[in-house]
Parts: sequence; C-alpha cells; structure tokens
Amino acid sequence: MNRLKKMSNRDKTYWAIIIPVLILFFTFNTLPMLKGFVYSFTNYRGYGSYEYVGLRNYIDLFSDARVGKSYLFTFKYALAGTVLVNVLSLIMALGLNSRIRFKSALRGIYFIPNVLGGLVIGYIFSFIFTYIIPAVGTALNIGWLQNSILASEKNAWIGVLIVGVWQAVAMNTIIYISGLQTVPEDVYEACMLDGANKWTEFFKVTLPLVVPFVTINLVLSTKNLLMVFDQIMSLTKGGPAQSTESISYLIYRNGMDGGQFGFQSANAVIFFLVIVAISIFQMTVLGKKEEQL
Amino acid sequence: MKKDTRINWVLTVLLIIGTITVFFPLYMAFIIAFKQPSEMTNDVAGALAFPAKWSLGNFAQAMEVTDFWHSLGNSLLITLGTIGLAILIHSVAGYAIGRNMAKKKSFRIIYLYIVSGMFVPFSILMMPLVKQTAQMGLGNRLGVILLYLVFYMPMNILLYTGYLKNIPVVLEEASGIDGANTWKTYWRIIFPMMSPMHATVAVLTALGTWNDVMTPLVIMAGTGENTLPLAQLNFQTQFGTNYNLAFASYILSLIPILIFYIVCQKQILSGVANGAVKG
Amino acid sequence: MAKKKISKCLLAAMAAALSVIGLSGCGQERADGRTEVELVSYKPEAVAAFEQIAERFNETHDDIHLTVNSPNEAMTILKTRFVREDYPDIVGIGGDNNYSNFLDAELFMDISDFQGISEVKPAYMDMLKELEYIPMEGTYALPYMANAAGILYNRDLFAEHGWSVPQTWEEFLALCEEIQGNGVQPLYLGYKDTWTCLAPWNALAVGLADSDTCNQVNRGETTFEAAYRETAEKVRALLPYAESNPYAYSYNDACTAFARGEAAMYPIGSYAIPQIKSVNPDMNIGSFVFPANSDEADNLLNSGIDLQFCVMKESKNKEAVYEVLSFLYEDDTINLYLSDQGGVACKEGEFDLAVELEDMAPYIQSGRMADYQDHHYPSEMSVDAMIQTFLLDQSDNAVDTFLQRFDADWKRYNRDLIRKVQQYQQEMGGAR
Repeated sequence: MNRLKKMSNRDKTYWAIIIPVLILFFTFNTLPMLKGFVYSFTNYRGYGSYEYVGLRNYIDLFSDARVGKSYLFTFKYALAGTVLVNVLSLIMALGLNSRIRFKSALRGIYFIPNVLGGLVIGYIFSFIFTYIIPAVGTALNIGWLQNSILASEKNAWIGVLIVGVWQAVAMNTIIYISGLQTVPEDVYEACMLDGANKWTEFFKVTLPLVVPFVTINLVLSTKNLLMVFDQIMSLTKGGPAQSTESISYLIYRNGMDGGQFGFQSANAVIFFLVIVAISIFQMTVLGKKEEQL
Repeated sequence: MKKDTRINWVLTVLLIIGTITVFFPLYMAFIIAFKQPSEMTNDVAGALAFPAKWSLGNFAQAMEVTDFWHSLGNSLLITLGTIGLAILIHSVAGYAIGRNMAKKKSFRIIYLYIVSGMFVPFSILMMPLVKQTAQMGLGNRLGVILLYLVFYMPMNILLYTGYLKNIPVVLEEASGIDGANTWKTYWRIIFPMMSPMHATVAVLTALGTWNDVMTPLVIMAGTGENTLPLAQLNFQTQFGTNYNLAFASYILSLIPILIFYIVCQKQILSGVANGAVKG
Repeated sequence: MAKKKISKCLLAAMAAALSVIGLSGCGQERADGRTEVELVSYKPEAVAAFEQIAERFNETHDDIHLTVNSPNEAMTILKTRFVREDYPDIVGIGGDNNYSNFLDAELFMDISDFQGISEVKPAYMDMLKELEYIPMEGTYALPYMANAAGILYNRDLFAEHGWSVPQTWEEFLALCEEIQGNGVQPLYLGYKDTWTCLAPWNALAVGLADSDTCNQVNRGETTFEAAYRETAEKVRALLPYAESNPYAYSYNDACTAFARGEAAMYPIGSYAIPQIKSVNPDMNIGSFVFPANSDEADNLLNSGIDLQFCVMKESKNKEAVYEVLSFLYEDDTINLYLSDQGGVACKEGEFDLAVELEDMAPYIQSGRMADYQDHHYPSEMSVDAMIQTFLLDQSDNAVDTFLQRFDADWKRYNRDLIRKVQQYQQEMGGAR
C-alpha cells in the first residue's frame, strides 16, 4: 500500500503497460510450457491416456546416444554458423548501407533467401548439391567435389550450414542496417576530416556504436541456429546415417510425429535451459563490453 | 550540411556480382514454375534449360488450387494484424522495460523472463496450446495472431530495448518538465523516433509469420480457413509432389512480402532522415 | 504527417482484422434435420474421389449428410483434434503404427457387428489383428484399400532386351548381372529420403521373416538379430546393382530417373506410380513380387492396408455411421474409388486391378500377402534411418552392429509396450 503510494506517476504508467503484457505472455508461453514440463515426467504420446514415470525420461536422456549425437551436431553447427552469419551480415550491412547505386533493389534481392519456403530450398539446393556441383567437379576434375556433400556422413552438416547461413544472413543484415542507421552521419564526417582510413573508422567509430546490435544479432543468430529445423527437414531429413539430426528435429519428429511426446518434452526442457544459459552468458559478456565502450 | 554524394562503384559492382548467389537458385525456381511435370529431369543441362513453352498456365492452376485470393487474404490479415499489434504493444513494452532495466531489478527480471521465452521450442508448447486455444474459443485466426504476438514478443522486446539504448533519456526528461505524462511523451516523441526499428520489427515479424505452416495448421485445423502456406501443402502428398505448381505458387506468395520489405526499407531511410533533421 | 499515416494504417488494418474474425465463428447445426456424419480421410490425394462419393451418398440419402474432409498433414490435424477432443465420426487412416497407437489409446469403437466386416479378404483381417499390441476383443477397423510393393520395372526395356521377370533370389541376382552386362543400370534406389530405405527392406522382409516378428520379439520369443539377418544381408546385396552413392538421390530423383529410363527396375511400392507417370505419362510400368527366397513358393507379396475406416468411440450416430460404411463398401463405390486412385480393394470379389499390378494378381487372389514390417515399428525409433546408417557402414561386422542395435533400440523405444505385453501374457498364463 505504502509503496504503491510512493510510486511516481511515471512508475505507475510503466507498470500499467507491463502487467497486461506479462499476463498475455504468461498465458500463451509460460503456462503451456509448464504443462509441457509436467508431461516430461510422463509417457504421454500426445493423445490418449498416460502414466507418470518419474525421472525416467531425464535419466534416459543422458544415456541416449542419439540425443547426445544431436547435441554435438547442433552445437558444432551453431558455433560455425554464428561466426559466419555475423561476419557476413555485418559486411553485407556495411555494403548495403554505403553510397551505392540500386540500394533499394539490392537490399530487396539479398532479402529473398529468407522468404523462400522449405520446399523450394529443399528442391533447389538438393539439386545443386546432388547434380550441379558434382558435374562441375567432374568437368574440372576436382575429386572432392564429385560426390554430393549431402550424402557424406562427415560433411553433410556443411551443406546444411551453407543453406542455413545463406538464409540467416538476410535477417541479421536487416538488424545491422537498422543499427547502422543510429550512427549519425556527422560522426563519419568528423572522421573523414581527421583523415582516418576506412579500417580505423570501422573499428574506432562504427563498431562501438553498433555494439548493442552485435549483442542482439549474436543472441538471435545463435538461438536460430541452435534451433535449426527447416533446413534439416528440407535437405537431409537427419541423414545420412543420422549425422544431421538436430535437437529441434528430434524433438519435433519424435515428439509430434512419433509417440515420444513425454520424452521429447524432457529433451525440450533441458534444451531450453541450455540455450538460456548460453544467451545469458552472451548478454552478460557483451553487456560488459557495451559499458566499457 | 555538406554531403559526400560520390557513388562507390566498386562496392556496387561487387554487390551486384554477389546477387548471383540469390539469382541462381531463384532462376531455377522460376523456370521450374513454368515447366510441365514431364519436363522435369535430373540432367543438369535439361534442368537449367528454359521451359518448352512460356505459359502462365501453372500460375493460373496454382492460384485455383490454393484458392489464392482467399488464402492470400487470410495470410495478409494474420501477418498485418500481427505486425500492427506487435509494433504498438511490443514497442511500448520494450520502452517500459528498457527505461527501467538499468535502475530497477524487477524490470531486469521481467526483461530476462520475457527474452528467455524466445528459447522455448515450439514443439513442447504445441499440444498444450492446441488444447488451451480450443478451450478459450481461440482456435481461429485471432488465436493465431495472439500466439504470434507472444512468440515474437521476446525478439521484438530485445530489439526495442537495444535500440532504445541509443535514444538519449534527456529528450523525455525535457518533455517531462513540460508537464506531459510518460504515456503521452512516449507516443509523441519516442514512438516516432523508433521508426527504423518499427520497420525492422515489421520485416522480421512478417518473415516469421508469412511462411509459417505449423501454427496455423494446428490452431486453425478444422475451421476451413487456409493461409497461403497451408494451401500450398496441397501440392505435396505422401508419395508425390507437384514441384511445378508448388514453385509457381511459392513465387506468387513471394511477391507480397517482397513489396512489403521494400516499402519498409524506405521507412528505415526516412526514419533516419527525420532523426537527422531533428538532431 | 507521415507518422500519422502509418498509425492510421495500422489501426485500420487491425480493425479490419478483428472485424473479419468476429464474423467467422458460426456454428455447424444442420438446418434440414439430417444427421451429420463427418469423415476425415488422411489421403489428400484422394480428395476428388471422396468428393464424388460424398455427393452420391448425399443424393441418395435424405436423413444423413456425409461430409468428407481430406486435410493436408492429416495425421497432425487428427492428433490435434484428438487433443482438443473434437472427434469426427469416422477416420480414414492407414493400417500402420498410428492405428495401433490410436487403438491402444482406446479411441475407436468396436464395429464387429457391422455386416461388411464379413466381406473383407481374410489376409487383411489378419493384418488388422497383428496391428493390435495386445490381442483385443472385437474389430476396430474396416479395411478398404491396400497397396502393394515389390519391384517396379520398365516393361519396354524388359521387352527390348528379352529379360524375364525373376521368380527366385538367384534368378533376381542373375537378372541384375545380365542387365548390367547389357549396359543398363539394373536398380535405382534413391536412399536420400531415409524412408525409401524401408521399401526394399519391407518387400524382402515379408518373404524372409514372420509377419508377426515384432509381436514375437515383444513376447520374448525371438530377437531381431535372428529374424532379420537374411533381410539385412539381402538389402545390402542390392547396392552393387544400383547407382553409386544412392544416399545422394531422393525419392523424387529416383522417380524421375526411373521414368526417364535410367534404370530397369525400382524397388518401391505401387504408390510411386503416379509420381513416375507425372514425369513420363506414357511409361509402360510393370511390377513383380520381390523374389526374396530361393524357392518361389516362399515368396510373399508385400501388401498393406493403405486406407481403412475406423469409427470414433465418441461418435453418437452409430446407425448413420454404419449406413455410411455400407455405402462405402458397395461395389460401385469401391470401383469409383479404384478408378480414381488405383490400388487393391480389400473386399472379397472381382475388382479392377491397375495394369501395373497385373503380374501380382495371382498373389492377391490367393491371399499370399503379408503386411509391411514397418507398420509395426514405432516411428520415433527411425528404423529407416538405422537402415541407411547400416548401408553406409563399410565395416565387416556391419550386419551384426545393425541388428544388435535394432534389438537394443527396440527394447528401449517399446519399453512400456513390452511390459504391457508380458503382463498380459502372465495374466493369460495364470488363467490357463
């Protein structure tokens, strides 16, 4: 009561805004997740009757080689992907934000990969990997190009990665562009007067100013890459030899299509905790960077 | 203000060359959309060749199969509805959180709580959500919009609070002295200043919703309403896919979102122009 | 100025959105007093046939109205409808693991008092029985259509070179050699989509393993290591006759390649014929039973229930539902479906058989058929991917590794089921 009275008008407004938003968020995100959490202690198939099985699903999870393999694949994929996506999209954003011709058209074109549906991606890239690249490999007599990368147990993940990055760059470029927009034009002018070259300009001026966007992009791209699903569905279906089964793919395929809803809910709970931990780590580290600068 | 208007041609050319990575796959999709199923082949030269006949027949047929205008209407309704509400609600929520996060622990916790929602795999939410929306009478388009609003809330709040760091608090404090309350200050001053971010949020949210199959599939099942991606499932059955019609349909559904993106790009630019004039 | 425009646009868009949604929540009461029966079919490709059937039914019945829905991603839709307890009256699904699971979840009604049941070919009733995890009283599905899988072959190529359809495994291998000798690729496999690995697997396993192998394993009577060894070895023996690196090529690639005459044979089910014909409409396709054994008499046709009707326990209009079922089971209706979709009718009697399946007719007529083994595999175990892994494994003990993993994984994925089965057995044993 007392505290409420003490609250300034400004604080009251803030709370009036945030409480309905929290209720909405709780109802459609936290509540169903809690239900999913409860199912993770059952052998629920997604329909029909079920029994509580205690911690069995969690114990199984840590002894399941397939789940272990999917974690390894997913992390390898996300790590390589995050670096590639962020470097490429920052370069793209700088390019698309500089004084070029056809700016609007070019931006539109580079945006297309992200809106192509899974069926198109699956067909076209399978064709490129299966037929075109091997044909080029044969013509130029390059041995390692002659077999489809998607059919190689060792390298199929690279094929998936190429497509994943190709699609993800579009989204992260947009965020970087809007970040670059916050850098006032006169900063560059001041720079030019100082005679700073492009490299120093980038590292001394641009980068520090867009650090908040680097944080956002790192968090978002890591998250998106960790949750890789569409590219797997359309390119490899987890193959060859189960070498590209991502965690999300397992959770979806076995939890929804298969009858492992309970077990995969447990998997999802652990996966959720893992990504949250990674993201908090990223945000804290980069948050410190932001303060330093 | 003196402005350097020289055009960087080297960069322009490099970027144009780079578009091959986009145009090549797109070219393949495009010619497949014009071909007949009997023209499909595994032969590289044949696959890259022009169709025997340039006919819009596939497009017409694809439009018919997907009940194009109706499905497009639903897709537009859901995407635009989500974007509109997202810009209004997420931006103001992002503002409330962003302006208090540094000082108040409670808001810092709320921020982390909402942002962590981004990492919940949809699969775990799906079954409970299906039941919940049905019980609440939300097994329809409105339900899908509400769900999107919640799914994209973490990302959008992350974006808005990030952007807010670059908008000085001084502006609001000045207007606070004027006697305007927080609510009014926000809509009058901050909301317009965030327009590059509105455009970004609009594009990213649209990206997520436009092609999404799963949410409308499970939430609107049985309502008889289709979005474009749902209608496009017509081209795929268990043992056969009509790639020609499917690609024609995908190309058609690419156009609206591409236009939307280009419009939003202008918005980002004009937002900066406004900022520059005021600054 | 611009800002105002934007917010106005936004508001208008939202208002439009909300108003359209508000109008859409109408109920589905039938005004004409007819009893509504809803059938959900999992085969969107058969939508035209079902529309015709429903139309005919509704013309001839003035007390019942039949609505057939054939949604895309029907299994997902069905499962979500079950979750929200929004049950149709009849579901048309396949006789596979999903059926077993739905049955085990007690979703279906016993329809043994439906007179059409007595007209089903016994082979299909046996398959139905074997899909029950635990033997159940009564009948819970009406088998409607079946498909057949074996080897599709290019009739024109066969005629041109004078090749003949093999009857035994040895003849089959000899034929492959001969075809290869003639400079033609004998087989196309297309193992990139993991599920395609199951096609030859199933077709071989029906002839080489007992049809109730999985149930036997659940009862602890055998192991897969014993039951599947020959199947595993023979699936592997196909590789030298197929395209190199079959894991690079998808189902669609294989269909296209076969349609273009790039291979003489394609081990896949009759369900692939429409996709092949879409590429080459004039193709002359034949099919034969996979000659898995050294003695022709041991071979079985791999045929499974592709479409069966189950009545939901929750359905309140049993009489009307039975009326619909008897209409569906009339010869005329079956022929209508067959003419649109092809396949094999599960009902006793003379029905048209697609030209592509002619060679299989003797097997169908005499009931020498067995169900796809994978109809008993839990999909989350991903046996298809396990087979792909096995085929990619170059080591000498690949077969052992694979079969041992099969047994171990089976026990893990079916743990609750095996417990249930053994509990049931104990009870039965105690009663005896």
